[in-house]
Amino acid sequence: MVRVDLGPGPTCVGSHLLADDPPRQVGERIVGTYRALSQTVGQDTLQTARRLTKLSVLRGSLPVTVTDLPSTPADRPSRGQISPLTLIASRPMIRRQCPLWLGMILLALGPFSLAWGEPPVEPMFESHIRPLLKAHCWHCHGEAGETKGGLDLRQVRRMVQGGDSGPALLRDQPLNSPLWQRVVSGEMPPGNKKLSAVEMGVLKGWLERGAPISRAEPENPEASSPFTEEELAFWSFQAVVRPVLPVTRQDGLENEVDRFIAAGLEQQGLRLSPPADRVTLIRRLTLDLWGLPPTPDQIDEFVSDASPEAYSRLVERLLASPRYGERWGRHWLDAAGYADSDGYSTRDLERKYAWKYRDYVVASLNQDLPWNEFLVEQIAGDELLAPPYRNLSPEQAARLIATGFLRMGPDGTGDGEAEVQTARQEVIAETIKIVSTAVLGLTVGCSQCHDHRYDPIPQADYYRMRAIFEPAFDVSHWRNPTARLVSLWHDEQFAKAAEIDQKKQALNDERTKILDGIVSEVFERELLKVPEERRADARAAKGAAADQRTPGQQLLLKEFPALNVDRGSVYLYEPQKINEHNKKYDDLTAQLNSQRPPEDFAHCLTEVPGAVPATRIFARGDFNQPREEVAPAELSILCSGSQVPISSKDSSLPTSGRRLAWARHLTSGRHPLVARVLVNRVWLHHFGAGIVTTPGDFGALGARPTHPELLDWLANRFVESGWSLKSLHRLLVHSATYRQSSQRTPELERVDPENRLWARAAIRRLEAEVVRDSLLAISGQLSNRMAGVPVPVAPDEVGQIVVAVDTRDSAGRPTGKTVSLGEDEFRRSLYVQVRRSMPLSFLESFDVPDMRPNCTLRNSSTVAPQALLMMNSDFVSQRAADLARRVMVMAGSSRAEQVRLVWRLATGLTPSERQLIEAWEFLDAQTAAFAALQLEGEKPEQRPDPALSALTSYCQAILCSNRVLYVE
Amino acid sequence: MSNEFPERGESRGSRRHFLAEQSLRLGTLALAWQATRGATAAPPKPVDLPSQFDLKPKQPTAPPQAQAMISFFMQGGPSHLDLFDNKPELQKRSGEKFGGEIKYDNAAESSPKLFYGPWKFGRQGQCGMELSELLPGLAEVCDDITLIRSMHTGVNNHGQSIYALNGGRPTGGRPALGSWLTFALGAENQTLPAYLVLTDPGGLPVLGVENWHNGWLPSLYQGTVIRPQEPRILNLDPPRRSNLATQQQFLKLLDSVNRDQLSQHPGEHELAARIASYELASRMQTSAREALDFQQETEATQKLYGLDNPKTREFGIRCLLARRLVERGVRFVEICTGNQTWDHHGGIVTALPDICSRTDLPVAGLIKDLKQRGLLDQTLVHWGGEMGRLPVIQNEKNIGRDHNTYGFSMWLAGGGIKRGLTWGTTDEFGHKAVENVVNHYDYHATLFYLFGLDAAKVAFPRPTGLGTILDGQAGQIVSGILERPPVTA
Repeated sequence: MVRVDLGPGPTCVGSHLLADDPPRQVGERIVGTYRALSQTVGQDTLQTARRLTKLSVLRGSLPVTVTDLPSTPADRPSRGQISPLTLIASRPMIRRQCPLWLGMILLALGPFSLAWGEPPVEPMFESHIRPLLKAHCWHCHGEAGETKGGLDLRQVRRMVQGGDSGPALLRDQPLNSPLWQRVVSGEMPPGNKKLSAVEMGVLKGWLERGAPISRAEPENPEASSPFTEEELAFWSFQAVVRPVLPVTRQDGLENEVDRFIAAGLEQQGLRLSPPADRVTLIRRLTLDLWGLPPTPDQIDEFVSDASPEAYSRLVERLLASPRYGERWGRHWLDAAGYADSDGYSTRDLERKYAWKYRDYVVASLNQDLPWNEFLVEQIAGDELLAPPYRNLSPEQAARLIATGFLRMGPDGTGDGEAEVQTARQEVIAETIKIVSTAVLGLTVGCSQCHDHRYDPIPQADYYRMRAIFEPAFDVSHWRNPTARLVSLWHDEQFAKAAEIDQKKQALNDERTKILDGIVSEVFERELLKVPEERRADARAAKGAAADQRTPGQQLLLKEFPALNVDRGSVYLYEPQKINEHNKKYDDLTAQLNSQRPPEDFAHCLTEVPGAVPATRIFARGDFNQPREEVAPAELSILCSGSQVPISSKDSSLPTSGRRLAWARHLTSGRHPLVARVLVNRVWLHHFGAGIVTTPGDFGALGARPTHPELLDWLANRFVESGWSLKSLHRLLVHSATYRQSSQRTPELERVDPENRLWARAAIRRLEAEVVRDSLLAISGQLSNRMAGVPVPVAPDEVGQIVVAVDTRDSAGRPTGKTVSLGEDEFRRSLYVQVRRSMPLSFLESFDVPDMRPNCTLRNSSTVAPQALLMMNSDFVSQRAADLARRVMVMAGSSRAEQVRLVWRLATGLTPSERQLIEAWEFLDAQTAAFAALQLEGEKPEQRPDPALSALTSYCQAILCSNRVLYVE
Repeated sequence: MSNEFPERGESRGSRRHFLAEQSLRLGTLALAWQATRGATAAPPKPVDLPSQFDLKPKQPTAPPQAQAMISFFMQGGPSHLDLFDNKPELQKRSGEKFGGEIKYDNAAESSPKLFYGPWKFGRQGQCGMELSELLPGLAEVCDDITLIRSMHTGVNNHGQSIYALNGGRPTGGRPALGSWLTFALGAENQTLPAYLVLTDPGGLPVLGVENWHNGWLPSLYQGTVIRPQEPRILNLDPPRRSNLATQQQFLKLLDSVNRDQLSQHPGEHELAARIASYELASRMQTSAREALDFQQETEATQKLYGLDNPKTREFGIRCLLARRLVERGVRFVEICTGNQTWDHHGGIVTALPDICSRTDLPVAGLIKDLKQRGLLDQTLVHWGGEMGRLPVIQNEKNIGRDHNTYGFSMWLAGGGIKRGLTWGTTDEFGHKAVENVVNHYDYHATLFYLFGLDAAKVAFPRPTGLGTILDGQAGQIVSGILERPPVTA
């Protein structure tokens, strides 16, 4: 059998599974029956199984396929119950032993190996037991000075030494050790989360072998490096090295990328697939670089270009277009958690100027701003300038706007609904989550409350990282979202605004004076309804301040409630007069407002100069329990275990300089993660999956790279090429790997069904925005208007969120009014407002991320509601109607030409003879059916032309088809 | 598919698995259906939720008495004083000045003058429930209902009080009751939406679409509207100008185009899965059509709901549809009257009889029909607005009554509710609830109990902790109105 390493630590897969039948080899698969341990109430076996499937794929471990799913409700177990399900490990066994494959399998099989009975590799404390105890036990026994019962489980010698109730580990009779007894009886760890059967197996195996350690343990675990050799040696924390280019015998390779891929394939006896045809290529490339399908003219030009430079020319044309920045900017906005609203609470207030950051991202990508500068500006653009940020040049303003990156997380501190102290802390926590997953590819957030359970990120490191941001997020001098806006006006605009505001004040005074006049008129009139002898009392009662009135006065006003007229209620007495009054002054105010310079703000992050708060570790993450103070620093594991201090206050800057120092460190070219994480993201978007399939987690729970040398080579080249993203695109899309056909073959299916070796291109569903934008483009409606305030969204009459101006009245009722958005209705989805509580229904159906707080990897689901939306929604029906009219204009009356054009516009393909005949028959049948269709109450002249209805229906069927929804 | 491909019929992309996966996600029709992934996992304690949400039926934590709910939302505030809560003292002193504290919504038209309506009350049914002559239909089924005369929300505007009764707090943005129940329980039927709202031709109630909003629950749990005109369910119903023939031709063409591509990409399971998703979508269309086809009902049944009378036909159809939907495993059905229909600030003398004559008989028909089909035991029926009215006159020239959320009436039936019971009282003028007061949170605690749920425990993670419908308010189960109240230790 295969020699198996236990891997770096306890795994999620293992913790959810119990082996029922020992897995055995069947043909080329490993098959076994497992029980899923449902750990959560309400989470049934199926969900557990799906989660497992997802996890195992995410982690790059053995792909697990769930087959025999329990489907009856009786199979829904409650907490802790177990129900069987069969899992098939579908990675085929390898036929030839080869280093790469073996490496993958060794990593992958870890959790399963013990379930087979024999642990093939000697379990060691450092590599196998320590991670397990760290995850389950240290919270109470060893971490942060906590040693319940006097027991510290961080070292074997301390276990032997034991706690208040004696030794935890008995070397002579290990299975009688309290450590094992407490675990096996279920007493420890307390709570619902127990060790899994696999973990128990590992622990037992280790104990039975006499609890071996790899090396002598130091006296004090804190004295030396806080990290083990294993942690320090973890792949993603190592410096990027320039690997030697592999030697390969394959021909048809285009560049270095292919050599890495081809070398991997050769070890499996595979080779790259032949290139895709030109129509497929241009469609793939245009959808990839623009997020839009190519037009028939663009296809013709490329297909008929016989020159060897045809492909390069195409790539250059696409990269030079502003459509490129719109497409690739969207990818980065996912990672940044871009939204036009504050989220957090139910109010979800609008962020009126967040779009400036969106435009900054798009412009930066279009200009190919070097990624290192792009990162520095986003993390510390404000520190490149000097407060008070007045009279900024456009370039300076851009740097300030860039820090919008750090203002993308949900922020409930301005909505008056959230508990403010918690909400402030949450803003910082969410911002750290965004930055760490997007830039570092690490789930740093897990160490907010305790040392990271799986990665070597001590809790103190979390707070050192927090200290980098804290001067800008000073909780004791908090600024609400609106107070953080920085005006982009220059002095003359401020002066003009002040002048107008003065006039408005005068106008307002006048308005109030007149209103008060009406109020007293009404009062005098109502007073006449009071018996004459009581009028003086009534006048006095009304005149008295509400809280000063005598009981008698209060009663009097209750008896004559109509006397309670005031500025707020006077409209009920004199509706017409008040309407006229309001209209007059509203108009005058509007006139003045139109002379005022339009508001213009940067949605950005700044520090208050001079105020540098202390950062303290919060015990268990609770901000009410601040402990020792820490200084700003990079995560120590990323500095080979030693801290790289960041100056608490850079004396050469007006600001603290912490973020700037950190950003420069990140972009020094020597950081182990920044370039790797970025090139992996770029690879992911070009190829459909990352070299590391968990782009937001390069840690222990993340996947391992399928091609680590390639990843490093790309990272290196990216930095050496001056951090140019466009140069990286060129390299990747020119590769033969990118240009391959997506055709599956029986051999590929056998050897690499998941396509992790890239022997073919992947067929992929278009992302949500690309589906919508494609429909707009194909039907000829797409607007190319760029930048600016977002296109509004609002609920329609049933509550679906659509592109529209919200015309509901103040009580939330539809008024039936529609405000034309003109061209804006047809702008790219990038420009549609991202209201966290109101995602555009069309996009949401196609898995647009929900930004809580950001998204490093999108879902791509296939569900019936998407089908219903494509078949029946107004949006798609209208695009079909637009397309039908378009082809009638462009193709004239020839039905064959019309059908050809529909295909060319929508899919890039020319329909076959058979497809033409099918279209012909369809159009005949539909025309007849529509001609016969007579709706109740429909007058003959209202009925649309049956032939046009038929063509529209044909267009919609093509728009619904997989030819449009997928890229091959 | 070519035989030379390894047998992957059991793999993740297979049709069988695909269908299993679909069944998790169906029934989420007119809206943004996509299950929201992952919830906000924020300190202090992230809750372990499924990575994807679904509408599959889920077991409640205790044995349920109610399986489904039909809620009549009588927006505007039906006058309890003229329908449900007879006050002899008010009759005696009608026309006199009211001496007590009173809060008016409209000060300009306010009057302190007490007003007893022109309608007679009488004792009805074997239980002798006192009801107004405006509700002859309800009188026939009053032995099957519990009338609560002591409702209280204490927030005197329509919007706030709707929020309170529907979402647990007088503020917006929270999940609606139907969203909570479908989140907690899913639905038996996977080809119909789990939570449906039948809106009125007279327009949406105050708060519009917020009445069935999922708030911060995944949008899967938003209510789906059945509109009063075609297409009845947006996105689920085919376009208005279509029929069976055009639809079948369309689906056949689409299928052919897709299969053609699949034949060029053998083994591409995702393409096959999407073909299957179109088939499933088409079945869902048929299923919804069938559920809405009330013509399948017998003449006697149609008559029971008043479909033979133009006055009651429209509302009767909706009542009949509610039964058909519940029968098919829909969890929550809401029937709304139009915008401010019951908000009788003026003209109450003519407007109140009018709306009663539109709705009373069909509602009673529904109760009778549910009962004769044995469905009433598991179906909780609710009838009520967000407020009642004041005992004093508003607008003497065109008599009406102003808002009152301090004491008002509503009724419940079926699903474990006592029969022929009157619960709670208001003061002698019907102004404030004084005995056995039922607050909106008590009402929610009671409903959840009937569904086998604990209103304090059905929760969703929020940045500030766990969000529940009670939101920390001490909602008391109103044991007195329950056939099988919780056993107290």
